Amino acid sequence: MKKSKTVAVWLVLVVAVAFLAWQQQSREPRLRMPFTQFLSDVADQKVASVDVNGNEITVMNQEGLRYGTRGMLDVALLGKLSEQGVQVRYETGGTLTAWIMFLFPVVLLLGFLVYFVRKSKGSAGNNILAMRRSTHRELSAGESRVTFRDVGGCEEAKESLGDVVDFLKTPQRWLNAGARLPRGILLEGPPGCGKTLLARAVAGETNAKFFLVAGSEFVEMFVGVGAARVRDLFEKAIKKAPSVIFIDELDALGRRRGSGIGSSHDEREQTLNQLLVCLDGFKPNDQVVVLAATNRPDVLDSALVRPGRIDRRIRVPELDEAARAEVLRIQTRGKPIDGVDLHEIARMTAGFNGARLESLCNEAALIALRRSRHVSGNPLRITRDDFVHAMRPGLNEDQRFNKLDLLMIESATQLAEPTGTARVQIRLLDASPVEGDVIWANGAFLKIRRGGGESDIIVAKQQIQQLEVLEGTGSAFADELQIDNWARPSATV
Amino acid sequence: MQDDWLLERFIFWIPLVLSLTVHEWAHAASAKALGDDTAERLGRLSLNPLQHIDPIGTLILPLLGVPFGWAKPVPINPLRFRADVGMSTGLLLTAAAGPASNLLLALLSTGLVGLSARLAPGLLPDAAMPVVSTFVVLNVLLAFFNLLPIPPLDGSRIVESLIPDYFRPAWDALASYSTLALVALIFLPRMIGIDLFSWPQGWAMRLLHLSGI
Repeated sequence: MKKSKTVAVWLVLVVAVAFLAWQQQSREPRLRMPFTQFLSDVADQKVASVDVNGNEITVMNQEGLRYGTRGMLDVALLGKLSEQGVQVRYETGGTLTAWIMFLFPVVLLLGFLVYFVRKSKGSAGNNILAMRRSTHRELSAGESRVTFRDVGGCEEAKESLGDVVDFLKTPQRWLNAGARLPRGILLEGPPGCGKTLLARAVAGETNAKFFLVAGSEFVEMFVGVGAARVRDLFEKAIKKAPSVIFIDELDALGRRRGSGIGSSHDEREQTLNQLLVCLDGFKPNDQVVVLAATNRPDVLDSALVRPGRIDRRIRVPELDEAARAEVLRIQTRGKPIDGVDLHEIARMTAGFNGARLESLCNEAALIALRRSRHVSGNPLRITRDDFVHAMRPGLNEDQRFNKLDLLMIESATQLAEPTGTARVQIRLLDASPVEGDVIWANGAFLKIRRGGGESDIIVAKQQIQQLEVLEGTGSAFADELQIDNWARPSATV
Repeated sequence: MQDDWLLERFIFWIPLVLSLTVHEWAHAASAKALGDDTAERLGRLSLNPLQHIDPIGTLILPLLGVPFGWAKPVPINPLRFRADVGMSTGLLLTAAAGPASNLLLALLSTGLVGLSARLAPGLLPDAAMPVVSTFVVLNVLLAFFNLLPIPPLDGSRIVESLIPDYFRPAWDALASYSTLALVALIFLPRMIGIDLFSWPQGWAMRLLHLSGI
């Protein structure tokens, strides 16, 4: 807690108490007299004015003295006072304070009650009502900056989704034409081909609210929660229309009913039934579009994909060469690539999906970064070489040995017979040079004895970018190194 | 006249909140000084009343007119005391710090008010007097009440750290009746015409008189 806050609270309290004390003092008649004093004052004709509030009488005498007393103003007394021309005021006041007096404890008790209800709710696990709420993430117009321009390939899908975008942008035209947009669109295709990205792009293209939810999020420990969440999601989406609901991994939710192992899977079926009802439930002018993605379209319930529900299927296929080049172009946007023929890379990466291409570009950038860190003064450029190295299988996991590996390699080299000698010069992937005699080589490692007091070094095949045999060329061992593809062609080739 | 009822309640309540805050802070600060930062990590080493409010004991009961209150207890973990402080000594000190702080507050405020009355009469308006006397009486009362050796109160912690192990089981057995004992101690003497709390009130009044107010 901040010091200033503490000071502020104290100040407020102290000022409040000072104010209250002042109030109390100014309010209270300074003097309290017995009623007989008042009577004698009346008899002596010394009373100037009288304020009456119930039985409480505040008297001002002619010397300017104010005092309070308690008693009854009966008719005789009143008669005397009016004879003397004394001002008598009856104060009706006190109704407000009476109300406050009445309400104050009530409000306090209510507050107390609310506090305890809250507390007990908090303690009863994550409260039940919150559990019934949908767990979707909402992206509003400004947030999702992904557009179709960021999606490489999938031209067909983009075209089909263009309808959706158009519908969300200018619904009136569609209504005028009497056309009904498909309620739901299923994006199907192998993993990593951009289904989710496409859905986000739809949100990015339009100003629609985007509700992102995964099929598995409807599954919870308690029965009925899934269905409640579906209802909640659709209610919110309709309230915020135009909107796009994107259900990722629909197969977690929309699996064919009655296919559960053993007895049927009641809870999931309830959720699915609710989803079916909700899909039916839109009015034609509800501008809500449901996008769903799955890579198992074959297991979906037939009711879910019947016309009027999720009836349009868009296939997001694996990327062809042109698409890959497109993805690479998008992914290398803003990266300092230098002399890389993306079409060539695209040709080399047959079978790569979008996600893998993205990671390839990232990996290439990382390699370039490491390279430039080791060679000072080198501007950071991502070259074709970096891409090629990034493509090498197994490289992504770990480029260096860990300690255990080193130990095992060391023991293996200790036991091994020297295979031959050759003096080599090696450039590693991180651009550091190694020069020395090869004392041992197997399929994966070289042990090199360096001169000049430096210790022996073990180099993995994967680390080597370029190897040149300096001495011993023509020997069987050197040939072996060549054949075994240790010496990789240099970057220029 | 009726508004005074509310006024008086708040004139009582604000000093109560401030006194309770200082009380709990004293527990936390003494624990911190002895090496236990449990309270500090919970944000209780603070003079901010908001950190110490107990909804019933600080808000509802006093504002409903019960002339009394309590705040959230400050947790103390004796295992975290410094090595050179024995656990029971530490507990004793931290428990005593609360009532001690209230006594100190009472003494300090009477001293200050007395001084100002002598050196600069008129500095404090008459209106402040009821507040000051409420404050002093309240603090003496709090110190006295908290020193009662009945389990949730600080006095019981002091006793706990002093009694020999031999009496431990007996003490623990008694402690289970502590709530009852507390209620009995408050109400029984009153029923036979002795107001236990008139003593500390009397002491506070004497203190105020001594200071010359």
